[in-house]
Amino acid sequence: MEIRIRGVSKHYYSEGKTIKALDGVDLTIAANQIFTLLGPSGCGKTTLLRCIVGLEAPDTGEISIGGQTVWSKEKNISIPPEKRGLGMVFQTYAIWPHMNVFDNVAYPLQVRNVGKDVIRERVANTLRFVQMEGYEMRPATKLSGGQQQRVALARALIAEPKVILFDEPLSNLDAKLREETRKELKAFLGNLQITAVYVTHDRVEALALSDAIAVMRAGQIVEVGTPQKIYFNADTRFVADFIGRANLVKARVRFQEGDRTVVECGLGTIACERRDIPVGNEVTLCIRPEFIHVAKGEGSGENVVNGRIDSQVFVGEAYESEIRVGNELLLAKIDPDANLKAGDPVNFRLDAAHCLLVSI
Amino acid sequence: MDRARARLTYSLVIIVGFLTVCPVVMLALGSFSEGLTAFGTFTLNKYIAAYTDPALLGVMVNTLIFVFGSSVLATVLALFLAYLNTRTDIPFKFLFKILSIVPMMIPHLLFSVSWALLLNPSNGMMNTVLKNVFFLESAPFNIYSLEGMILVEALLDLPIAYLIIAPAMASFDVALEESSRVFGAGTWRTLIRVTLPVLRPAILAAFVLGVVRSLASFAVPSVLGMPGRVNVLATHLYEMIALGFATDYGKAAAVGMSVLATSVTLIYVYRALTAESEKYVTISSRGYRPAVIELGKARIPLFTIVALLSFGMIVLPVAVLVYTSFVPYTMVPSARAFSLMSLKHWTDVLQDPLSLLALKNSLFLALAGATLGVVLSVFVGYAIVKVRTRASGILESLSFLSFSFPGIVIGVGFMWFFVQTPLYATIWALLIGYIATYLPYGVRPMASAFVQVHAHLEESSLVCGASHLTTMRRIIVPLLVPGIVSAWILMAAMFIRELTLSVVLSRPGSEVLAVQILKFADDGLWGKLSALGIIMIAISTTLVVLATLVGEKFKAVEGGG
Repeated sequence: MEIRIRGVSKHYYSEGKTIKALDGVDLTIAANQIFTLLGPSGCGKTTLLRCIVGLEAPDTGEISIGGQTVWSKEKNISIPPEKRGLGMVFQTYAIWPHMNVFDNVAYPLQVRNVGKDVIRERVANTLRFVQMEGYEMRPATKLSGGQQQRVALARALIAEPKVILFDEPLSNLDAKLREETRKELKAFLGNLQITAVYVTHDRVEALALSDAIAVMRAGQIVEVGTPQKIYFNADTRFVADFIGRANLVKARVRFQEGDRTVVECGLGTIACERRDIPVGNEVTLCIRPEFIHVAKGEGSGENVVNGRIDSQVFVGEAYESEIRVGNELLLAKIDPDANLKAGDPVNFRLDAAHCLLVSI
Repeated sequence: MDRARARLTYSLVIIVGFLTVCPVVMLALGSFSEGLTAFGTFTLNKYIAAYTDPALLGVMVNTLIFVFGSSVLATVLALFLAYLNTRTDIPFKFLFKILSIVPMMIPHLLFSVSWALLLNPSNGMMNTVLKNVFFLESAPFNIYSLEGMILVEALLDLPIAYLIIAPAMASFDVALEESSRVFGAGTWRTLIRVTLPVLRPAILAAFVLGVVRSLASFAVPSVLGMPGRVNVLATHLYEMIALGFATDYGKAAAVGMSVLATSVTLIYVYRALTAESEKYVTISSRGYRPAVIELGKARIPLFTIVALLSFGMIVLPVAVLVYTSFVPYTMVPSARAFSLMSLKHWTDVLQDPLSLLALKNSLFLALAGATLGVVLSVFVGYAIVKVRTRASGILESLSFLSFSFPGIVIGVGFMWFFVQTPLYATIWALLIGYIATYLPYGVRPMASAFVQVHAHLEESSLVCGASHLTTMRRIIVPLLVPGIVSAWILMAAMFIRELTLSVVLSRPGSEVLAVQILKFADDGLWGKLSALGIIMIAISTTLVVLATLVGEKFKAVEGGG
C-alpha cells in the first residue's frame, strides 16, 4: 500500500524552547518497497515513523495509507494505532517479558478474536518463516537479541499487514549479528508483498536494504532516491557527505559543455557530470575515495591530477592514503601491492561520471 | 485520553494533597489555637509556652546528640560493611544480605525492648552475667542513657544506610580507583582521595536519611530514654499529649512545627543528594568484576566483627524475647530458669481481651490499609511515571512529602483534624493516618514497576491492534503484579508494627499491637510483652517471606531478563 504524507509538522516544547521534530514533510512511499528514512539522530525520522503508525499525532498535515486517510488536521480525522492495521518492529523489540514466544506472536490474532486452531497454525507458519520453529513455549526473557528480533518480526507479520514499520531494529545487535540479520531481513521482506518503512541512522544498512532512501535533516526530507542515486548522484553536500566517505573540494563553475560541467578548483580544471548550475556559482566537488585510482609518477591530460602522498595508514584490505594536491588533502584507497610510500609523487585521472557537483 | 489522564491526575492531587497537607495545615492551625476544643481562636500563647519551657534546652541538646550520634554511627558502620562486602574477599558474603534485610522484620519497639532486657542497669541479663563473671559492684552498662540510645538507634538505621551505600559502591567504576593506583597511590590513600569523595553523595544521603529517621524515632527514646529521664523531642512531645492530667496539643503542635520543618527540609536535601549520587555513579558495567582486595591477616578479625554485628542485630533480640516469654520473671539463663519455663505468659496474652483486640485491630489495619494504600499507589505511580505534566510533578512532590513526616508530629496534626470529625477515636482515623504517612512505601515500588513497563511494550500492543483496555488487561497489569504485591506486603508489614502515629491516635477501643506492647513495657510486664511481640514478629516475618517468595516466582516467570 502506498503511504502519502502531506505537510506534516510536529513541534515539541521543552524548557521553553520549541523543537521542530518535523517541519512540513511531504513524502510518498510507493507500495511494496523497502523504504528507508535515514538521517543523523534527532533528525525526526523516528517521529515521522511514529506519526505514520499513529503513536504520535502531528500538529498539521495529512497522512493516508493505501488511499485511506488515517490522520488529517483539517478534516479532523485521527485513527488510533490499533485501528490502522499495521505491523511494527520496535527498537527495543518490545517483547512482552511475561509471555512466551507463542503468546507474543499470537497476540495480534488473539486481539482480533481469531479461532484458536487458526492461531496455532499461523503462529507455527510465521515462526517457520522467521526460522524460529519449535520455540513456541520458550519464555520471552530466555531469548537472545537476534531471537528477540525475529520474534518481534514474526509478531509484526502474523496479522498480514500491508505495511510494516521498523524503528532501528538492528541497532541493539552486535556488529556481526547485525550484518547477518540485515541480509535475512532483506530476504524475508523480498518474499512478501509488503510496504516496509525502515528507520535507521546507519548508512550501510540503508544502502544495503532499501529500494528507496529518504535522507532527513532537522525535521525535513533533504533528498529521496534509490541507493545508487543517493550515493553517486546526491544533490546536496549534506547527503553526499552523510551517505559515505567523500572528499569535498570547493569549486567554481567555469562553463557548461555537452554533458559536462567544467569547474575550477584546488585540483585544477575538472570536467564533471553535468549539473545545471549557472556559470560563476560556487559549488562543492565531491569525489569518493574509491574512485581515486593513483598511479606512480606524474601524468597529464584531461582530468588528470598530480599530487604527492602525504601519509598512509594500513587498514587491512588497503592503504588509506592522504594525497596532497596544492592546498587540498584528498583521501584515497591504495592497493597494498602498489608499493608506494609517503612522499612519492602520484597522479590520478578523475572519471567525470564520478565527479559529483553538489550545492555548497 | 489526555483529558481522562488530566482528570485522573487532578483527582489524585486532591486526594494525596488532602492526606499529606491536611495534617500539616491542621498542625499549623492547631499550634495557634488555645486547645483541642477551642480550635480557631488565634493565640501565640502556645508558642510562647513551648519555647520558653526550661526543659526544652536540655531536650534539644539530647536530641542533637542522639540524632547525630546515631546517624554518624549508622553511616560509618554501613560504609564499613558495604566496603567489606563489595571490595574484599571477606568470607560468607551471604551474611551481608541477611544483615540488610532481616532486621526489617524485627519492629523497632521490640528491638529496643530486647536491648533493655539485656543491658538495663538493675537486672539486664548481660549486665548480670558480666557482674557475676568479673565480680563487679555495679552494672557495667546502662542502656537507659544517651549512649545506649545512640547504639540501638544506629543498629536500627544501619540496614537502610547500607542499602543506600552498598549499591553505589557496587556500581562504582573501579577504573577510577585503578588509575589512582597506577599513578602511585596506595590502597588507603586511594580510599581517602578517590573512593570516598566519589561516593560522597551516597554517604551523605545515608547520613541525612539517618537523621530524619532518628529525629522521628519514638521506639528507642520511649523504651530506653524515658526510664532514665533522657528526653528527646519525640518523647518530649509524647509527654505533653499522653502523660499527666493536662494534655496540651497546642503546645505539642508548636514544638512539632519546628520538628516537621527540619524533617521536610532534610528530606529534600536527601532527595537532591540521591539524584546527585545517581549522576555520579552511572557507569555501564559490561561484565567487569571489581578488583577484590585481599584482607590477608585481617580477614578473620574483620569477619568476627561482622558476625558479632549479625548476632547482635538478629539472633540476640529474637532469642531474648523468646526466652523472656517463657520464664516467669527476668532472670539470667540457668538450669533453674529452664526448669521454671512455662506457657503462662502466652496463655495470659491470648486470654487478655485488650491484647486480642489490639491484634484484631492491627490485622484489620494491615489488610484494609495495605489494600487501600496500594490501590491509591497504583494510580499515583501511573500518574507520576506515565503522565508527565506539571500536575503529576506536584503529585510526585506531595507523595514524597510524607516520607519526611515524623509519626508523632503528624499524629498531633491528625489529632487536630479528627477531633473536628466523627472519626475521632475510631479505627478509621488510624487507617487514614497510616495511609497518609506510609504512602511513599507504596508509591515507590509502584513507580519503579511503572518505569520498567517500557513505553514500547504498551505501544506495540496498540500497533498489534489491541484496544487500550485490552492493553491494560493483558500487558500493563501482568507486568505490574510483582510491584503491586511487594507494595502491598511492604505496607502491610509497616502497618502491623506501626507505633509512632498510633500512640497519638489510638484511643480505648482502637488499640493496636505496638501500643499494647508499649503499655506492657511501661508496666514492666516483660513476659507478656515478649509473647505478644513474637506474635507480631511472626506476622511481619510471614509477610516479608511471602513477599520474597512472590518476588522470586515472578522473577522465575520473567527469567533472567
